[in-house]
Amino acid sequence: MTGVPLSYNVRSLMVRRTSTLLTVIGIGATVAVLTGILSLRQGFAQLFEASGREDIAVFMRPGATSEGESAFPRDRVDILVKSTPEIDEGPDGRPLASAETFLAVRMRKLDGGETNIPIRGVQPATFVLRGDDLEIEGERPTPGSDEVLVGRALTTRVPGARVGEVIVLNTTPFRVVGILDHGGPFASEIWGDADRMMAALERPVFNRVIARMRPGTDMEALSKRLENDKQVPAIVTTEREYLSGQTAFLSNMLLGLGAILGMVMGVGAVFAGVNTMLASVAARTHEIGVLLSIGFRPLSIFLAFVRESLLLGFLGGVIGVLITIPLDGIRTGTTNFQTFTEIAFAFRVTPGILVTAILFAMLLGLVGGAWPAWRAARMDPTEAIRHV
Amino acid sequence: MPWRLVWRYLAAHPFRSLFTMMSMVAATFLLCLLQALLASLDVAVLNAAKNRLIVQSAVSLFVTLPHSYQGKIEAVDGVEDTCKWTWFGGYYQDPENFFAQFGADPGSLRRMYPEMEIIEGSYEEFERKRTGCVIGDLVAQRFSWEVGQTVPLIGTIYPRVDRKPWEYEICAIYTSNAATLDRNTMFFHHDYLDESIDSGSVETIKGVGVYAAAITPGVEPTRVMADIDALFENGPQVVQTTTEAEFNRQFVSMLGNVPALLSSIGASVLFAILLATLNTMIMAGRERTHHIGILKALGFGDGTVFGLLIAESMLVCALGGALGVFFATGIGKALEPFLISMFPGFAILPETQVFGLALAASVGLLAGILPAWQAMRLRPVDALRAEV
Amino acid sequence: MAENLIEVRGVTRVYRRGGEELVVLDGLDLQMERGSFYALMGPSGSGKTTLLNMIGGLDRPDAGDLLVAGELLNVLSNAELARWRADNVGFVFQGFNLIPVLSAVQNVELPLLLAPLSRKERRERAEYALELVGLADRGDHRPKQLSGGQEQRVAIARAFVTDPTLILADEPTGDLDRASTEQVLELLAELNEKLDKTILMVTHDPHAAESAGYIVHLEKGKLGSIERNTPAPVGAEE
Ligand SMILES: Nc1ncnc2c1ncn2[C@@H]1O[C@H](COP(=O)(O)OP(=O)(O)O)[C@@H](O)[C@H]1O
Ligand SMILES: [Mg+2]
Repeated sequence: MTGVPLSYNVRSLMVRRTSTLLTVIGIGATVAVLTGILSLRQGFAQLFEASGREDIAVFMRPGATSEGESAFPRDRVDILVKSTPEIDEGPDGRPLASAETFLAVRMRKLDGGETNIPIRGVQPATFVLRGDDLEIEGERPTPGSDEVLVGRALTTRVPGARVGEVIVLNTTPFRVVGILDHGGPFASEIWGDADRMMAALERPVFNRVIARMRPGTDMEALSKRLENDKQVPAIVTTEREYLSGQTAFLSNMLLGLGAILGMVMGVGAVFAGVNTMLASVAARTHEIGVLLSIGFRPLSIFLAFVRESLLLGFLGGVIGVLITIPLDGIRTGTTNFQTFTEIAFAFRVTPGILVTAILFAMLLGLVGGAWPAWRAARMDPTEAIRHV
Repeated sequence: MPWRLVWRYLAAHPFRSLFTMMSMVAATFLLCLLQALLASLDVAVLNAAKNRLIVQSAVSLFVTLPHSYQGKIEAVDGVEDTCKWTWFGGYYQDPENFFAQFGADPGSLRRMYPEMEIIEGSYEEFERKRTGCVIGDLVAQRFSWEVGQTVPLIGTIYPRVDRKPWEYEICAIYTSNAATLDRNTMFFHHDYLDESIDSGSVETIKGVGVYAAAITPGVEPTRVMADIDALFENGPQVVQTTTEAEFNRQFVSMLGNVPALLSSIGASVLFAILLATLNTMIMAGRERTHHIGILKALGFGDGTVFGLLIAESMLVCALGGALGVFFATGIGKALEPFLISMFPGFAILPETQVFGLALAASVGLLAGILPAWQAMRLRPVDALRAEV
Repeated sequence: MAENLIEVRGVTRVYRRGGEELVVLDGLDLQMERGSFYALMGPSGSGKTTLLNMIGGLDRPDAGDLLVAGELLNVLSNAELARWRADNVGFVFQGFNLIPVLSAVQNVELPLLLAPLSRKERRERAEYALELVGLADRGDHRPKQLSGGQEQRVAIARAFVTDPTLILADEPTGDLDRASTEQVLELLAELNEKLDKTILMVTHDPHAAESAGYIVHLEKGKLGSIERNTPAPVGAEE
């Protein structure tokens, strides 16, 4: 089968520059919105899921869907830890578990307005559990003292968040002694000694317990057993599972938003593509007649136009990708509606997203081009050739 | 103005006109929904009652206030009435079936929120029954609940020690046409919650989420706010008194960049559609060059020639816009029950419809201007010389 | 001696393409009287169309004055020129130039949109004009459904339906066969004789020129000659 050369398509797109450009930009904008949302979702998911650890278990009160809702009085924590032999031992030979408090605290933002910052009261074991996941610039708060660590993401967003400065919680001033870096949500939190936090915030309960589990622990069985415990009922999940549960809502919302937008904007882009390709076909009616009469088969004509529309889509995809790439790393914030706290995260443009973008753009081109191409292939050569 | 020509030209390219119109339908549809979502965010702020203040913890949305505060707040000069509001955070059968429930003071709730309109059952019955509740009509609709029915709710923040769900008897169903009172909410006796904690059915610290305070007409709210704040300056819980509008605003501001994100998505959609329409109109203008020469030779003025293309462009867009608004209104109405829990006040209002139509017409105008201007500027001799 | 409808005084028209200048009309002087039929002849590229367009107010001279139907065209604004065209001139082109999306009668009706007429009056006048060109039964046809001769007759109906003083025809028979040519020439002669229209027709067909009362020759941008002609009764020869 004889094919129509590719240069034919390129030339044709060049002849109708304005049309080509407008269509390509339209497809590009569509793709950019879609990839923008996908990379937002990626950034959010990466922050939570990727940083969640498999070997750390999160204990919460049954019924709680996030740590803010969970509560354990102090004496129950001890019972819980003692009655769970699946908890691994720490370097000191004692169960490696840490009870934490968690509260979303109102704070003024540097750029005006208020936000809810997660405050976490931790026990020394938390640092052992997290180990190298945490990077601390400055000092670790001395147990029992009014000292805090501030997450890296907060330093530019709330006042008093630099080392040496003071943050007042309720009526108690806390001195900032270090900056906390973490690949996950902790970089948006303030950490202090659990007991001091309870005292300052007048909340004498822990919110959750985290612990390192012995390798091979069946978490589901454990959770089942603890849920029906008479003394301290609790539910257990791995941290990874807990964190991905926290993102499910936003993640699904973004995915849904992306799908709807991709569809609606895609419809617009496809129509623009159809119009461009119809014009391209109409303008070349005579040429098509010539090609058909010198022996090109309708299929070759069809394929030639389909290829042209794919090319159009591909160019649009490239534009979309070019718009999206600079988004990578741009930080933004939103509220995690599970805990009503603000978290900072960045757009993450992955190769997978870029490939999706190009494919989606080419799909738009294809859908827009198929029908005009079919019309071209079905032309009557004798009539087409008369058309000048 | 030769309107017939406008129609004829549109009909001469049925597919192109249709596709352009359809992309406008899609865009307007989406923009109307986005606009309605964004507008719904502000509804509760804009319509907040001027005579109600909210006393909340200055530390955190999740920190409760002591019961002892109520009498002290009521004693402040200018405060007429107070009502407790405590977030219950329960769900019906499954966490997916989430809706808002508050423990409140039945008497003052009725007095302070005249927008609550009982449409079924009796509020007096609710006031009498310790375990009674009133529910919004949307809650009733969603779960097909009826007056007289007892409904089980699982407490996440207030789980019962016996691991059983809470049970509330529906005494009345209310509706409201004010955005300040959400129709997706259930109210029950705050005393019932307190007694359950006192009796040990629930193991939690007793407290009140926020106090709503009604102020005497004519009293300066800022003075009352300052007086209340001053009362508890030294703890045990520092409070922050705000107007109802300000209180509602904090929830909106939690969305962070989401409204901006939605707006920029809307702008991209508009941009993409503008390009597509511009593409069509430039094509139309180009094919029309020769005819423009004819019209000019016949004595049609530049204004008519300009108007011809503008009218064509605006007509397609306005038709598409009208259809888009129509679908948005219909589908928006259908979506209302689902969206209203997350976006109370979501509705496709006349403003939104006008907004959609205006945007569509503007796109038509913008897309038409360039080709129309080019057509207008054509010298008749050059236009006549152009290829047919 | 009838008054002059058209006075061309020292009209110059220069086309510039790239660095080259092409003087198409070079200080042309010409008068044409009201109510006569002129044929404009000359070799291809001699500026016939250019002159016709300027007389019709579609183009402007680089120098000189054009006084047509009592109006000094070269000082009018674009809008005034358009208005003037609508009131005074009807054009007939070689390529017919009908609007393909409109039916025959709608094409004829088109220039009437610029006149203060009711919808009904417009329709009646358009139908009457079509009747005069012998196409009363083709009113609903689209241009594509008509033969070339029929198309040109519709175009002629469109040119006189507004009752202009002047009808300008640029090679109206150039694309037509013998029979259609005769019909078109006959129509133009009739418009001149019965409706007293002044007609200026560009042609390089000597036979076509025979229908006119005057034959004007253009040569190298200047007036060659004007000869008086006794029109043969159209369609009578052969
Ligand atoms: N817009 C233009 N730009 C440049 N040259 C032109 C233009 N219009 C006409 N000409 C040139 O001017 C000359 C006269 O053209 P025209 O009046 O159309 O001649 P005729 O109608 O007598 O054949 C021709 O040589 C033509 O190529
Ligand atoms: Mg010519």
